[in-house]
Amino acid sequence: MLSQAGEPTPGPTLGSAWISPSAGGILTVLPALRDLLPRGGLARGSVVAIAEFGLLCLALAAGASADGAWCAIAGVPEVGLLAAVGLGLDADRTLVVPDPGLSWPQVVASLLDGCELVLLRPPSRAPVAVQRRLEATLRRAGGVLLVAGEWPGAHLCLRVSRQWWTGLGDGHGRLRACRAEVTADGRGEAARTRTRWLWLPAEDGMVAAVDPADLPPAEAPDAGDPPRLQAVGAG
Amino acid sequence: MSVRPPPRVLVLRCPGLCEPGVFERVIAVLTRFCPAVEAVEPGVCAFGARGPARYFGGETVLAGKIIAAMADIGVEGRIGIADGLFAALLAARPVTGRPVTVVPPGGTAEFLAPQPVSVLMDQGQDQDLAGLLHRLGLRTLGDLAAFSVADVASRFGDAGEAAHRLARGGSRPLAVRPPAEDLSVAQEFDPPETRSEPVVFAAKALAERMLSGLAARGLTCVRVQVLASWADGRESSRRWRHDGVLSAAGVADRVRWQLDGHQAADGHPGPAGPAADDRTTTGGIVLLRLVPDQVVRATGHQLALWGETAVSDRVARAAMRVQAMLGPEAVLRPLTGGGRDAREQVTHVPFGEKGEPSRSGGQPWPGRIMGPAPGLVYPENREARVTDEAGRAVTVTGRCIVSAPPAALAVDGGPSRPVIGWAGPWPLSERWWDPAAARRRARFQLETDDGRAWLASVQDGRWQVEAAYW
Repeated sequence: MLSQAGEPTPGPTLGSAWISPSAGGILTVLPALRDLLPRGGLARGSVVAIAEFGLLCLALAAGASADGAWCAIAGVPEVGLLAAVGLGLDADRTLVVPDPGLSWPQVVASLLDGCELVLLRPPSRAPVAVQRRLEATLRRAGGVLLVAGEWPGAHLCLRVSRQWWTGLGDGHGRLRACRAEVTADGRGEAARTRTRWLWLPAEDGMVAAVDPADLPPAEAPDAGDPPRLQAVGAG
Repeated sequence: MSVRPPPRVLVLRCPGLCEPGVFERVIAVLTRFCPAVEAVEPGVCAFGARGPARYFGGETVLAGKIIAAMADIGVEGRIGIADGLFAALLAARPVTGRPVTVVPPGGTAEFLAPQPVSVLMDQGQDQDLAGLLHRLGLRTLGDLAAFSVADVASRFGDAGEAAHRLARGGSRPLAVRPPAEDLSVAQEFDPPETRSEPVVFAAKALAERMLSGLAARGLTCVRVQVLASWADGRESSRRWRHDGVLSAAGVADRVRWQLDGHQAADGHPGPAGPAADDRTTTGGIVLLRLVPDQVVRATGHQLALWGETAVSDRVARAAMRVQAMLGPEAVLRPLTGGGRDAREQVTHVPFGEKGEPSRSGGQPWPGRIMGPAPGLVYPENREARVTDEAGRAVTVTGRCIVSAPPAALAVDGGPSRPVIGWAGPWPLSERWWDPAAARRRARFQLETDDGRAWLASVQDGRWQVEAAYW
């Protein structure tokens, strides 16, 4: 079942009438992602915004899903489920709503009632009032809303600031693994910006931390120019 | 060994008639001649002919009346009358050329003897067996019937024994269904009910009536159809999976979701979650009807011990609420299978339905792209433009020779980005035996200078992006 967080601080947001048994807990994430998140997991009742839909969204969802949570993916018809399954997502506990339509806030609210984790790419910009109402539903249900896109007031924002692949040559090879620099910041306890280099995905399709030795000095964090493939050497 | 002659059976075969609605009408007409009709398979039904034939004045007269009644509803049918279902089914086959074939009583063995053994296949018998008998030189049912049952059973087992019994003119008894009873329940609301709460409350009582009506007959239904009509003539109809496990309260919940969803679809987006209870529907509801769909014999419900992820009530409720708003096809469960494309390796099945992956997994699928799967798989290919250093479109010949290394990629008419790494072409020629599905493509992996990678393909000189890696 879902693991409970080490820190059982419910936070001020959980003062609603019904508190789920696991309120104040976290949803597990993949081990490589723990460092990025202030509590080492996705805080229940929180909104996590990811700048753009991609493997990072799927990786964030995969840990909870592998741990027994139901996941819903709404508004992303192009979701690569094979990659998600490779990251650890359990397809048997996944609902996909490719097109939530115009009344997507209601759809998401319904999904939040049933699923611990909802990955949403809003089809349109929601008025602030609708956002607040969804956040209230989220706190009541004790789930986590991952938003691929903008969400003003999100508790945590993640983005892939740089990435490059290994394995492709000039007319030969194939994609093998990708180094991605992931940056996380947010409000409150997440205010401190965290940056990590991850294999997203690693050669086995999973996520792993990049050994600093794998980052040549020229490619190390804070290097000015975007990385060039040729500089990677051993791929 | 003598086989007791089976009763006279009339079979009506309506070729090419598989739509359930029309077939139901055919059965409805047939029940005017005999109340107990078996639907053998779509388009084929049977009933015991002795009583009706005596009443209507002979088998030929009865058959003529039925053909005429079918013509009235615009259906063409063939009738066979014989001893036993098997012979009657054969007599009603179109090959006989006449609309009515009557095999006289006691003439069944004579009628069956010259029939080829391949007719056994049509009767749900083992296909291999029919082929085997044919290769052994047993070309007709008469050849097979000439053996003793013990000889056949010892060589061909149960399937052989069953085939032998059919060849001798034996047949299973008809499994007639009781005359179609209207098991649906309905409630009218006068004056029209504008709030959904009383309707949902009434739905619970209705569902109890429907379920007890089914239970009293030892029946259950696969789906429940919920029909609601509004005063202004609008209607909402939706089928909900039941499988004999839904309680009256569960049915009432689905009625609530359907009404909520109907309102949401009607252009009341606004509130997230259950909003005020006092909202009104335009016109109000005048009629609520629950119809059991696909009534089957109740055999109990056994959950699998392993291998079936139990969908918790909470998830099922959430999924069905969304289905009520957007339609059953809107909520999907992914199934992973085999295939060469990232797209075809995932099959989506509407929530609540059972499905199989369209391509079986566990096979090598040569030509599959190895390595990590793409994070984005576009439902439709995106147009792309791939150019070389000089800005000319890159082309690939039939022998997979690339005109020049790709140097820039533009997707969907967007800005062009330099390509810093590429691999390919990997040719893929699929389903060349089927002109409609045949595809011949050369695929590439391209990495652009922003660190993103793409799966692109050339087909008939057109570049397209199938998936993206990030």
